[in-house]
Amino acid sequence: MTASRLFELIIALLYLSGSVSYPLGLVLRRAFLKRLAAWTSAAAFGLHTVDLALRSLELGAANLQHGQFYMSLMAWFFVLIFFVLWWRLKHDFLSMITAPLALILFSSSLAVRTQVLAVPEQFSVLWFSLHVGTIFVSLALIAMAFGAGVAYLHLERLIKTKAKLPGFSKELPSLETFDRANHWAVSIGFPLYTISLLAGFLWASFTWKKVISWDPKELISIVTWILFALLFHQRMVLGWRGRKPAKTAIILFILCLVSLVGVNFLLPSHHSFRQ
Amino acid sequence: MNQEIYLVGLNHKTAGVDIRERFALTDCDPAATGLVIDNGVVSEAMILSTCNRVEFLVVGSEEADMRAKILRFWADQCGQPSGDLEGHTYCHVGDDAVNHLFTVASSLDSMILGEPQILGQLKTAYRNAVEKGVAKVIVNRLLHKAFSTAKRVRTETAIASSAVSISYAAVELARKIFNDLTNHRALLIGAGEMAELAATHLLSSGVRDITVVNRTLAKGEELARQFKGRAMPFEELHQALLETDIVISSTGSPTAIIRAKDMKDVLRKRRHKPIFFIDIAVPRDIDPDINGLDNVYLYDIDDLKEVVEENLAGRMQEAQKARGIVAEEVTAFMRWRDGLALQPTIVALLDQGECIARKELRKSIKQLGPNPDPQMVAILERLAKSLCHKIYHEPISYLKRRSLEEGSAQRFIHNARRMFNLDEEAIPEDAHLDRKVQTGSK
Repeated sequence: MTASRLFELIIALLYLSGSVSYPLGLVLRRAFLKRLAAWTSAAAFGLHTVDLALRSLELGAANLQHGQFYMSLMAWFFVLIFFVLWWRLKHDFLSMITAPLALILFSSSLAVRTQVLAVPEQFSVLWFSLHVGTIFVSLALIAMAFGAGVAYLHLERLIKTKAKLPGFSKELPSLETFDRANHWAVSIGFPLYTISLLAGFLWASFTWKKVISWDPKELISIVTWILFALLFHQRMVLGWRGRKPAKTAIILFILCLVSLVGVNFLLPSHHSFRQ
Repeated sequence: MNQEIYLVGLNHKTAGVDIRERFALTDCDPAATGLVIDNGVVSEAMILSTCNRVEFLVVGSEEADMRAKILRFWADQCGQPSGDLEGHTYCHVGDDAVNHLFTVASSLDSMILGEPQILGQLKTAYRNAVEKGVAKVIVNRLLHKAFSTAKRVRTETAIASSAVSISYAAVELARKIFNDLTNHRALLIGAGEMAELAATHLLSSGVRDITVVNRTLAKGEELARQFKGRAMPFEELHQALLETDIVISSTGSPTAIIRAKDMKDVLRKRRHKPIFFIDIAVPRDIDPDINGLDNVYLYDIDDLKEVVEENLAGRMQEAQKARGIVAEEVTAFMRWRDGLALQPTIVALLDQGECIARKELRKSIKQLGPNPDPQMVAILERLAKSLCHKIYHEPISYLKRRSLEEGSAQRFIHNARRMFNLDEEAIPEDAHLDRKVQTGSK
């Protein structure tokens, strides 16, 4: 086992520890387990950053031809967004979803390590970073909104049905906090998603001389964008709050998952990680 | 005729809010309405009617079917079929009744364990009974003891050390909905002890300010001054709903004052900002359908009951201690009451003896001739009196000793009365009560 393999394994194990100890801390009501989750996630994030930096130094632009790099970068963005939201919302509850997602993405990055992408020749670093960087940040935000949305719907149902709030729910932050996570995800995520799509289409128009090539990923992204635009409009203009944005965010996340798993791994597409 | 203590009623555990609404007795005069008639069947009564309970405390004859009599009276007063009360009421007799009353007063039977509000309501009910002249010896003593028991429970246990109340539960819920109460304003519709308590709690939990809307603006303004808030006329209720996020409603309105269809418009204007309604009025002020709207949360008084149950777990131990205190006080009260039954018996015994002594003395003095020697008369008088006292001394001390034993007091007094044929003699009931008052006020 090479040193870099060992390094990756340690990062994965730290994310795993974060994924397990937070829910455990909630259920067993042990504050130290929750602190442990936060520290291991932070350590994983630090090592992850080092890993990405080393990899970039080692491989340089060739990195962009590796599926592993994209997955790993996405995981890194997820954790980054989580730390930003944690700092802004003062609630660690979103680590329920962050650490597991980071773990899944990071492990799948290890699974696709041998995959080499057919990156188009007229590759532009500017367009690319606009396309990939923005989509990763907005995906991370959608994932947060999904986690917050599930928690919102759960807590809201408890309050509406006047169910006795069990000890576990007592730890849940307020509905307003979850709704604010949705607000952040929508107000920042939608512009980023839009930029990403525009950059992608512009890039495509330069590279392939056509704006749209009816790639499955393009189609599903347009559907996602329309739904995202609807949510953005309803939320910002009509003042939607609570249930409806929460549900829409959940659907958005499912669409993104379909797009990520289905298109990148299963269908023939120029976004595919398959050989 | 023997007197017994009865307690008949319903509470939040036995009856839902709809039954409590229908059988509430907010202003009932037991004397004027004929519950207490001077025939010995019902001699004393007190009616406690709050939003969580309606209870009759009655002192009356042992023989009558008191439960049926009270239920009939109650249903008549409310204009409701008495059959609807069946299955929702309880009837406690004797020490069970005393125990129930003390338990209620110590707020061990409250919807929220340890909530002291019931004590104030009980004091009001007692004051009404005293003013109407239907609280006499037993009810007087019983209520005074109930209040002192409640005080003991409050000071000797931790049951009321922290605020456990509807309002506390409401604040906890508000915290589940709103992240930070300091950014939110509260609205108080109507006045009332519980609503004011909730408002006080909200303020101390950091809510930004309180707006008061009341039918009579002057009263609203007075309340607003108390909370350093502002008052708005009732007509501007909808405007107030646009500006506030936590609404406590407790008006005496017989119909809903906020309806679901009005609320849709309000919500649009609020841009769907969440709003939390706490309806503590019975009958309810707020259309229950409102809870079905997005971003609107409604809890009525019964719902709050559910919420607080989890807070109660930690207080169970304190409640156990409190029940011990209540049991002690019940025993003390019953001993007093049994002694009370003994007291008139002793008095009647001595009366009987003195009566016989005086009769025999008159006869003997007659035999001494037209001009009896005053010294001789005095000696005879002393002789008669001390004879009677000496003769009755042993039976009386026997009765006193026996009455300290649990349960046997009633039986021995009953036997003594039959043995000396005390009840043949017509002793006016008022005379009894006077002596009881003297004994009771010692």
